[in-house]
Amino acid sequence: MIAKKQKLSSGLTVTSKVFVRSRNGGATKIVREHYLRNDIPCYSKLCHKCHTILKPDSKGELPRFILSESPTRLEKEGSIHYVVVDTNIILHCIDLLENVDCFYDVIIPQTVLEEVKNRSFPIYQRIRSLVKSDEKRFVVFHNEFSESTFIARAKNESSNDYNDRSIRQVAKWYAEHLQESNEDIKVLFITNDKDNLQKAKTEGIVDAYNLTDYIEELPNADVLRDLIPQTSNNESFSSSDANETSYPEYYSNSRVLGGLKNGTLYQGILNISSYNFLEGTVQVGAFKKPLLILGTKNLNRGFNGDAVIVELLPKDKWREPSTTIIEEEVIGADDNADDDGDEEIEFINDKERRLLAQEAIKETTAATSSTDGAHSRLQPTAKVVGVSRRSWRYYVGQIAPTSVSKDHDTGNSAKSCFVILMDKVLPKIRIRTRKAKELLGQRIVVAVDSWPSTSKYPQGHFVRCLGEIESAEAETEALLLEHDVEYRPFSKNVLDCLPKEGDSWVVPQDFETTTKRKDLRDKLVCSIDPPGCVDIDDALHAGILPNGNYEVGVHIADVTHFVKPNTALDSEGASRGTSVYLVDKRIDMLPMLLGTNLCSLKPYVERFAFSVIWELDEDANIVNVQYMKSVIKSREAFSYEKAQNRIDDPKQQDELTQSMRVLLKLSKKLKQKRLDAGALNLASPEVKVHMDSETSDPGEVEIKKLLETNSLVEEFMLFANISVARKIYDSYPQTAMLRRHAPPPATNFEVLNNMLAVRKPSMPTISLESSKSLADSLDRCNDPKDPYFNTLLRIMSTRCMMAAEYFPSGSYGYPEFRHYGLAVDIYTHFTSPIRRYCDVVAHRQLAGAIGYEMLDLSHRDKSKMELIVKNINKRHRNAQFAGRASIEYYVGQVMRNNESEQEGYVIKCFNNGIVVLVPKFGVEGLIKLELLGDVNSAEYDEDKFELKFKDFNNKERVIGVFDKVKVDVKSIKDEVTGKRKAQLILK
Amino acid sequence: MILSPAERSYLYDSLIQKPPIRPDSRSGHQFRPLEAKTAFLPSSNGSARIRLMDGSECIVSVKAKVVLKSQESSLIECDIDVSGNRDDSNFVSILKFNLTNLLCQNFPMDVLQLTSKYSYKLFIDCLVISHTSYPLTLLSLATYLALKTTRLPLLVSDVDDSEVEEQPTFSDDWDKSKYLKEMVSSNSKFQPPIFITLGVVGDNLLFDPSTEEEQVLENGLILSWYNNKVITPISNINLASNSNNSNFKGMDPILISKSLALLKKYCGEIVDALDGIIEHDDATEGGIF
Repeated sequence: MIAKKQKLSSGLTVTSKVFVRSRNGGATKIVREHYLRNDIPCYSKLCHKCHTILKPDSKGELPRFILSESPTRLEKEGSIHYVVVDTNIILHCIDLLENVDCFYDVIIPQTVLEEVKNRSFPIYQRIRSLVKSDEKRFVVFHNEFSESTFIARAKNESSNDYNDRSIRQVAKWYAEHLQESNEDIKVLFITNDKDNLQKAKTEGIVDAYNLTDYIEELPNADVLRDLIPQTSNNESFSSSDANETSYPEYYSNSRVLGGLKNGTLYQGILNISSYNFLEGTVQVGAFKKPLLILGTKNLNRGFNGDAVIVELLPKDKWREPSTTIIEEEVIGADDNADDDGDEEIEFINDKERRLLAQEAIKETTAATSSTDGAHSRLQPTAKVVGVSRRSWRYYVGQIAPTSVSKDHDTGNSAKSCFVILMDKVLPKIRIRTRKAKELLGQRIVVAVDSWPSTSKYPQGHFVRCLGEIESAEAETEALLLEHDVEYRPFSKNVLDCLPKEGDSWVVPQDFETTTKRKDLRDKLVCSIDPPGCVDIDDALHAGILPNGNYEVGVHIADVTHFVKPNTALDSEGASRGTSVYLVDKRIDMLPMLLGTNLCSLKPYVERFAFSVIWELDEDANIVNVQYMKSVIKSREAFSYEKAQNRIDDPKQQDELTQSMRVLLKLSKKLKQKRLDAGALNLASPEVKVHMDSETSDPGEVEIKKLLETNSLVEEFMLFANISVARKIYDSYPQTAMLRRHAPPPATNFEVLNNMLAVRKPSMPTISLESSKSLADSLDRCNDPKDPYFNTLLRIMSTRCMMAAEYFPSGSYGYPEFRHYGLAVDIYTHFTSPIRRYCDVVAHRQLAGAIGYEMLDLSHRDKSKMELIVKNINKRHRNAQFAGRASIEYYVGQVMRNNESEQEGYVIKCFNNGIVVLVPKFGVEGLIKLELLGDVNSAEYDEDKFELKFKDFNNKERVIGVFDKVKVDVKSIKDEVTGKRKAQLILK
Repeated sequence: MILSPAERSYLYDSLIQKPPIRPDSRSGHQFRPLEAKTAFLPSSNGSARIRLMDGSECIVSVKAKVVLKSQESSLIECDIDVSGNRDDSNFVSILKFNLTNLLCQNFPMDVLQLTSKYSYKLFIDCLVISHTSYPLTLLSLATYLALKTTRLPLLVSDVDDSEVEEQPTFSDDWDKSKYLKEMVSSNSKFQPPIFITLGVVGDNLLFDPSTEEEQVLENGLILSWYNNKVITPISNINLASNSNNSNFKGMDPILISKSLALLKKYCGEIVDALDGIIEHDDATEGGIF
């Protein structure tokens, strides 16, 4: 309801809006005053009139005009045009809007923008960044505040109808407004809503189109036709596709909210098992063990990573987690996935649900305390009854060859086919395309549009093609996309934040008078990094003081001198969070200029640094510590190997080498102290791929080697991180950027200890009391006959650990700050600001703590810090996964040429297969029962973790966890997913 | 004492005439003229303001809140503020008790039902800005108007939540909200109860006595009217609350049945007049008075 307008003063009119706010079950009548202005311009360079009404904003700047004076011409009509879009076009066709081949000069009414924001925040952010980067000339027109486009809501008009009418009003106003300046311009109104189109016509908007018709009007319609998303087409999938199956409908929003409130429904993130795509788990706060979700009916269209609402199933449906491997490609081939959740569940009411929940709590807590047999393995099961947030993004996959029928040759009409995604925990996606034939054998990107309850598979559309399967470019881009790594080049407004001088920037000579920087150019600083390192973010120096103590300095690149808070550069870095290292490529967090030149502590040139200087006694105890921004001049940049050689060479007696020897001596003491305190030495099968320097084809794989100098640098970096963590926590007890590593929950080690007890009775069990006892018990687990066994156990223990995470100090109590792996009470990341955003924040906080400059508000605000850490934790994880996936791909490529027999260890046993880890390549692979021997003869002994079967020679074999086996390693290409995998064959 | 003994005597003598001669020349069953405006407080669900010719003025606002029925003892709560009187004074407490009691016992509570668990609760806030005569009728009439114009947001979620919990959700469109009168079952009319004050002088019963008349009354009666009939409570009261009234005395029971007959005869008209105000008010959107 909107009351009458009232004139306040010239150019300002007030009216009021009345609406109901329904929140937490309440209903409040809200009245808002709404001001209208007459000085909102149309932002078109064609317009002659709007320049006269401009008023400067609060910063005294006039609004800029963005819409081009010569926009694209329509093919048939021949006139130039602007476009006004409605909400659904943006929500469904954001990819098209971002496409460089179409949609230039777009007007987004504010009404649309707000609707988009309410419906999908990620899309809202994408549209905002489109508006921000001027390349595609998008403008937001604040129609609700403009006198000429504001309309009052009519009586009994629904808010949707009202919004649609507001949007049409914008299109109408623009058309009329621009006509006066230029006869040739057309303002097209684009909507897919038939009713809206009809109304537009009757209201006199001539140029109203639906998306398909609009694309046909464009000169390059041929390329664009296939990109039109499914849901935006009015033609839906043919009727035979629909109703092939029906999923239970989701509960209504009010029921979900009510259920969450009274504790009968639960919310959590759905996590699909990577061994069985029909089994998912949801970790819910109320229960100690995750809830199991079994079968497609119960999963009810949930994607891996979705935030879902679940409801417990009755007790007779509770199951043990399955020990069977099920992959979609196997069952999906004949489209007949079996469901074990088919039976209808009788209606139960809330009271019974609550009893059930109590039962489940009892079950899950009992399970952790007692260890008796099958009873403890029973887990409560649940079904998905709603999805509160979809994790949908771009997916990479390839068209399933079987789904492309032969009659695709005929005609040019779009046919539907399936796309199998690289991520095998996700279902295949149905798309419609005219180019299915051409796209076979290509890596393609698809987006998911919807998953109606009547469709067995989600529906999506083709976005773009990355290239041929197994070509390095396509695979690299695919894995970047799969891990949500932003790899596009830095945009112009980010690059604008860099120093104007570019590569020729030098340290200004007047720094001592203009800033509080200390001059440390006389210190003998050097850096030690991997060979070929260009982004050097740390350097060291050491010396002996007159009193016999040592002075040790760690100098970190002063990134925050260039990356100031609240700039485009800063927000880009914050959103990328970390640099990503792939085998053949590095995706930078900050532009090259900073990372490899201005910030990088290159030898022989002066650079700004942030220095931590300790005075240490003979036993490496801290006597004194100072923090300062400084200017340094590195004497030399060593590689680990070169530094090692120089230290080991007795002929080298110059000062620099001497100081490195001091560093090495102290670092060994520091390391010993750390190990004594219980720091863990865990292992992961890390490998390095050697690239042929000319063809950059992967040559061979080797396990990474560690030198003493590696640990020299590492120790001092840890040391600096700990000192800085203490300092910033001292100054900012609520918002200091810290990193913690929680102790592993006992349940994680339960299975491993069970395995040990059963399979290696001579071994002591792994103790979890403290990191010290864990480290000690791991040390004791030695098999004299097999030196690798200890490493294997460390690898398996690493997988039971919690992941370390960033957090603002206010979110946990001091005892929980502890870093379990490093065995220190407080820790942060400070030493790599070029490649990690956490370090950038730590730098700013340290600068604030020592009074160098004021700390920006965003790093003093707890809720803003929460947002920052949430993002960098996610980015950090993704970067690790992407790095591993890259290695995995190259290892696959290497193995393609080297088939060989290798030693492997069984690390997991299922009733229809085993998982084997091959240390040489650091790969692990699943060997299915079909490849082991006679499927029918197999017997799985769950308590003993062993699988008994007859092999192909009809010999009885028993294989259990920890067994050492010989396997044939070869690389095969999976024809369905197009992914190259290590295929292991048991000898 | 606002009247001298001579004035009191003169006034008493004229009121006891048959028919009574009232100082403002009203007939016995006539109300003082009043002005009213409804639905003028933007953030209330319903509101009304009444002004009498002598400057007495009262504002009533009705606000609604969604509550769990099991946690509320009553679905209507009144709060009264009379300027110049302490909130805990007898005068205000009695007014508050009367109004709350009347509404709680004579209100179609089913119009407030949302689901089997949730219901609306009405908070009625009355503000007497100024008054000369006893303000109960003024309050009650303003409350009547406010309740008649009260609108409640429309529930869009499921009504039945006895078995499965639902959090009530509402349409965000204020225009979709419902008047209380639209919520009552079709065969009855939504008419909140009102109070009528009568003054007793000899055999005469005077509607809506003015402050001067109150000084000489022999007794006062408060009657309530709901659903086209007189209902209990019926009570007597000394209306000249701020002075001692030397005329005050006991009452002939016959007068009570006479008062019932009078109310039956005239109250319908009073309610119709009030409904007329609302209808008239809806049509013309203007300022407040």
